[in-house]
Amino acid sequence: MSAIVAHELTQRYGSEVALDSVDLALDQGEHLAVLGDNGAGKTTLLRILATAARPTSGRLEIFGLDAVRERKALRARIGFVAHAPGLYPALSAVENLEFFCALHDVDRKRVPETLDLVGLTDVARRPAGRLSRGEQQRLAIGRAVLHGPRLLVLDEPDASLDSGGPDLLANVMRDRTVVLATHDHALANRLCQRTIVLRNGRSLGAGTRLRVVR
Amino acid sequence: MTRSISVAYAVARKDLTSEWRTRELVPALGQFVVLALVIANFGFQIDSRNATVIAPGVLWLALVFAGLVAFGRAFAAEREQASLEAMLLTPAPPAAIFAGKAIAAALLLIVCEMVLLPAMTLFFGTPLNPALIVAVLLATVGMAAVGCLFAAIVARVRSREVLLPLLTLPLWIPFIVAGGQAVQVAMGASGNYNQAVALLIDFDILFLVLTSLAARFVLDD
Repeated sequence: MSAIVAHELTQRYGSEVALDSVDLALDQGEHLAVLGDNGAGKTTLLRILATAARPTSGRLEIFGLDAVRERKALRARIGFVAHAPGLYPALSAVENLEFFCALHDVDRKRVPETLDLVGLTDVARRPAGRLSRGEQQRLAIGRAVLHGPRLLVLDEPDASLDSGGPDLLANVMRDRTVVLATHDHALANRLCQRTIVLRNGRSLGAGTRLRVVR
Repeated sequence: MTRSISVAYAVARKDLTSEWRTRELVPALGQFVVLALVIANFGFQIDSRNATVIAPGVLWLALVFAGLVAFGRAFAAEREQASLEAMLLTPAPPAAIFAGKAIAAALLLIVCEMVLLPAMTLFFGTPLNPALIVAVLLATVGMAAVGCLFAAIVARVRSREVLLPLLTLPLWIPFIVAGGQAVQVAMGASGNYNQAVALLIDFDILFLVLTSLAARFVLDD
């Protein structure tokens, strides 16, 4: 069964076209890397896939549901790591995750295992504002997987992560459908089976990483 | 319903915990309301003869400006931290998230009122009685609902500090009129206190319903 089917996704901001008729199909469990220069449309595509933005036109189905009309139902199945970590600096790492447990209506018992997964157990009681940028990114990744989403949308998650970052990402991506935007081709090759390249909002091609390299 | 209550509780608790730890807003608002009373005390030459006429106006001016800051910060801080989107991308009902933020902002304003009302008694010699407290609290509820709704709307734009008063103040006028009348009577002037309070309750119900209906459209996109 397809996890994502996108047909002619277009996003306009006034006269500016941020995303231009992008088609996409991704099976469940597949990992897709989205590559492209700054301003290519990667973040716009990812925000639409995460239901954070509505496309101006085009059709998007995620797990068989219309991503615009049924996005409320989809949000429990999607985890999103945006550019900014979006944490509460005065709350500790534990409190940040416990708050999102309440919003997702999931058991707080998931918090310790999530902190362990992202390697933050030692700083669990430290306010998020006093964590390093890399630790904040780890916490944002932990928040995205807290509710056990089937689809993970990651916008440059490797930013600020240390050398253990790729292993962490490989762990959280396991058994999930993933769309990952990055500038790091080596990371994309390691973590994703398929790749799409964007330029000026248009897709230059999608396929296996071998095809894109060619 | 239980889910909405638990979400609203979690959001309000999060906001109040953040404020308790950072002490960003309440000390500044407390100082502001006291300074407003000091300026009014010298500016209006308030004494025991004119206190019941002038003091209610001073009270509402101080509350209105403190409220604009308190409600404006409720959503501006979320936007600055880029945390509002993370919250809205959960399955939690937007109306419950809005209610939680409005409750927290209202409680912060009530803390300011706990400074303002005794300070008024101290400066102007006005009475501090349950009737006065009830009138102020009822007005605070409706003002919080309207103020937080517009704070959520303008949080997306750059000129939010200018837009928030322009949008909010006209809709706060009913609370200031009815609340002002109730406070004047509570301070010893003649008038119908029960009628003013009944009007405040009506406005509270009306604006709570309207803002909770509008909140899902404001927050959802």
